[in-house]
Amino acid sequence: MRMSSARLALFYTALMAVLTSALLLSVYLLTRSALEREIAMVIRAEVEDLADDLRLGGVDRVAATLHLRTDSWGRTGAVFLLADAQLRPVAGNLSEWPRDVTPDDASMVEFDIIARERGASVLHPVKARIERLANGYWLLVGADTSERQKVLRRFGLATLWGTLLTALCVWLLGAAYARRTARRVREYATTCETIMHGDLTQRLRVDGSRDEFDALAGTVNAMLDRIEEQTTTLRTAFDSIAHDLRTPLYRLRVRLEEAQLRADAPDEEIIGPALGELDRVQRTLATLLEIARAEAQGVATHGDQVDLAALAANMVELYAPGMRAVGLEVTLEAPEPALLIGNRQLLAQLITNLLENALKYVPEGGHVRVRVRNTPAGISLSVADDGPGISAGERPAALRPFVRVGDAASKTSGSGLGLSLATAVARLHGAQLTLGDNAPGLIVHCEFPTKTAARRDLPGSAAQVK
Amino acid sequence: MHLLLIEDDAEAARFLAKGLRESGYVVDIASDGREGLFRTTEGSYDLIIADRQLPHFDGLSIVAMLRKNGKHTPVLILSALGSVDDRIEGLRAGGDDYLTKPFAFGELLARIEALLRRGSQPETTTRLRIADLELDLLGRKVVRAGKAIDVTSKEFQLLEFLARRAGQVVTRTMLLEAVWDLHFDPQTNVIDVHISRLRAAIDKGFERPLLHTVRGAGYVLRDAG
Repeated sequence: MRMSSARLALFYTALMAVLTSALLLSVYLLTRSALEREIAMVIRAEVEDLADDLRLGGVDRVAATLHLRTDSWGRTGAVFLLADAQLRPVAGNLSEWPRDVTPDDASMVEFDIIARERGASVLHPVKARIERLANGYWLLVGADTSERQKVLRRFGLATLWGTLLTALCVWLLGAAYARRTARRVREYATTCETIMHGDLTQRLRVDGSRDEFDALAGTVNAMLDRIEEQTTTLRTAFDSIAHDLRTPLYRLRVRLEEAQLRADAPDEEIIGPALGELDRVQRTLATLLEIARAEAQGVATHGDQVDLAALAANMVELYAPGMRAVGLEVTLEAPEPALLIGNRQLLAQLITNLLENALKYVPEGGHVRVRVRNTPAGISLSVADDGPGISAGERPAALRPFVRVGDAASKTSGSGLGLSLATAVARLHGAQLTLGDNAPGLIVHCEFPTKTAARRDLPGSAAQVK
Repeated sequence: MHLLLIEDDAEAARFLAKGLRESGYVVDIASDGREGLFRTTEGSYDLIIADRQLPHFDGLSIVAMLRKNGKHTPVLILSALGSVDDRIEGLRAGGDDYLTKPFAFGELLARIEALLRRGSQPETTTRLRIADLELDLLGRKVVRAGKAIDVTSKEFQLLEFLARRAGQVVTRTMLLEAVWDLHFDPQTNVIDVHISRLRAAIDKGFERPLLHTVRGAGYVLRDAG
C-alpha cells in the first residue's frame, strides 16, 4: 500500500476515533444495563418484602409499611402505591394511579410523574413493577430514574467529548509527525540532488534524535563515504595514469621529431604517420582528462558570462569554410545575445565537437543548422543536420565514451569521445544533452538553465586572457 | 639570443636544448626550481622557458619572484597540466605564454620567436607593409600592388596577425588563440581552409606568393624574394 505520511496520519486518526468511540460506547451500554439491572433488583426485593407484609398482616400492614417508608425513610426516589381493585390509592406516595398504566400482574412499566420541586412542577421518569395482590389489590413499586438518567447523560457527553479529544490529539500528533517526516525526506532529497550534481562532499544531516531517520542518514552517509573514497581513488589513479603517460609520450614525440630533422632520417612515410598516430593518442588522452575534470567538477564551479550566441557565431565562422569545401551548407540562427555563466573554452569545445561530428558524418550536399535561442527556462542550443542520423535505439549508447554507432563504427577516424565530452560539458553547465530525430538527420539539443547557472556567484576564470 | 631552460626532466631538457641550439639559440639548463631562480637573478637572459612542476620552486613561483624584482624577461611556461584553467592560472601568474606538454617542437620554436620579437613593432602602427602588400589597420583595407583586395573581417584579423609577425612562423594553435580565442585544438585542420582562402585572396594572380606553409609547423607571411 502506498501512502504518504500525511494520509497515513489521517488514516490512523480515523482508526483511533472509531476504536475509541466503540470502546467508550460499550462502556456506556454496559453501565446503562448495569444500572437498569440494579433498579430492577431493588424493586423486586421491595416487592418481595411487601408481599411478606401482606401475607403476615394483610393490606393494612402493607399500607402501614408504605406510610412508614414514604414518610420517614427509604431510598431516595422510591415510588410506592397500593391501590384497590378499582385502582383507588390506599397508601403510598403517589396521589393517584398513573393514567397511562394498565394494571397487569408482574409487569414492568415506565411512566412520568409530576413532582413539585422548589415551587415548580418537574417531570420525573419512573420505572416500576406492578404486582396484583391476593385480595384484588394492586401494588406498584418503582424508582425515580431521573438521577440515573442524568448520570447516563453526563456519561454519554463525556464519551462524546472523550472521543473527539482523542481524535484531535491523535490527528495533531500524526500531522506533526507527518510534517517532520516530510521535511526530513525533502531535506534528504535536496541533499541527494546536490550530490548527484557532483558535490560528493555533501552528507545527510543527522540530528541526534536517534530515530529511524538518523539510522537511515547514518547508513546513507557511510555509503557516500565509501563512494567518495572509491571515486577519489579512481580519480587519483586516472590522473596519475594520464600524467604518467604524458611524459613518455612527450619524449617519444621529441625523439620522433629529432629523427625527422636529421639528414639521414628514415623517410616521411614512417615518421609522418607515426607522429599522426601519436597526435591521436595524445588527443584522446587530453579529451579523457577533460571529461574527467568536467565530470568531477559538478555543476559550474566557476565561470564567466558567456554569450552563447556570439560563441556559436564564432564557431560557425571557423567551420563554415571547411564545411563548404566538402559540400556542406552551414547556417546559424542566433538572433539575440544568449548570456549564461560558464566556461567559454569548454562550451566552445562542445560546439566544436558537434560541428566536427556533422563534418564527419553528413554526406556531401547536406545542411547543418546551428540555433541558439532564449527560452523561458534558459538557453536552448541545437545543432541539426540532414545526414544519416542515429536510430532511436542507438542514441543512449552514442553518448557513452568510446562508443561509435551506425556508420561511425566503420570509420576509423574519431575516438568515440566527442559526444561524451559534449555531454560532460553540458552537464557541467547544468544542461542535459539529448539526441533527437531531425527527420531526416540528427538533432542535438542542449537546454541550459540560465537561472541555476547564474545563481552560482563564482569567481571568473576568464577565458579571454590572450 | 640567450635562453634559460628550467626543466627537471633531464632527457626532455637535453632534446629541447639540442633543438634550440640547432636553431641558433644559446641555451642554459637549470634542473630544478632553486637553480633556475638563482640563474634568473644572476644572468641576463632574453627569454626563460620554465617547466611548471619543478622541485623546490615551481615555475609559477619563479615567474612571480622575477616580476616582483622588476624583471620583465619574457617567460614561457611548459606544463603537463593541460586544462584551460591551468593555462589561465599560468598567464595570470605573469607568464607570457603557456604551452602544454606534449607539444610539437615547431610550436615551441614559433612561440619563442614570437615572444622574442614582441614589442619590436609598436602596437600603434596603422600601416603594415610586406613587399607590395599593404594593410591599412584603421580602415581595415588590404591593397596589393595598388589593387584593392576584398577580405572578410576574420580574414583581415588573420592577415594582420601574420603581417605583424612577417617573417616568423605562426602555428595553427597561435592563430586559433589569437583570432578565434580558442585554447584547444580541433581535430580537423579548420585553419588550413581559412589560410587557403586568404591565400587565394592575396596571392592569386600575383607572381610572387607571400603566404607560405611551413611543413610541420605552420605558416609564414614573407617576401620570399
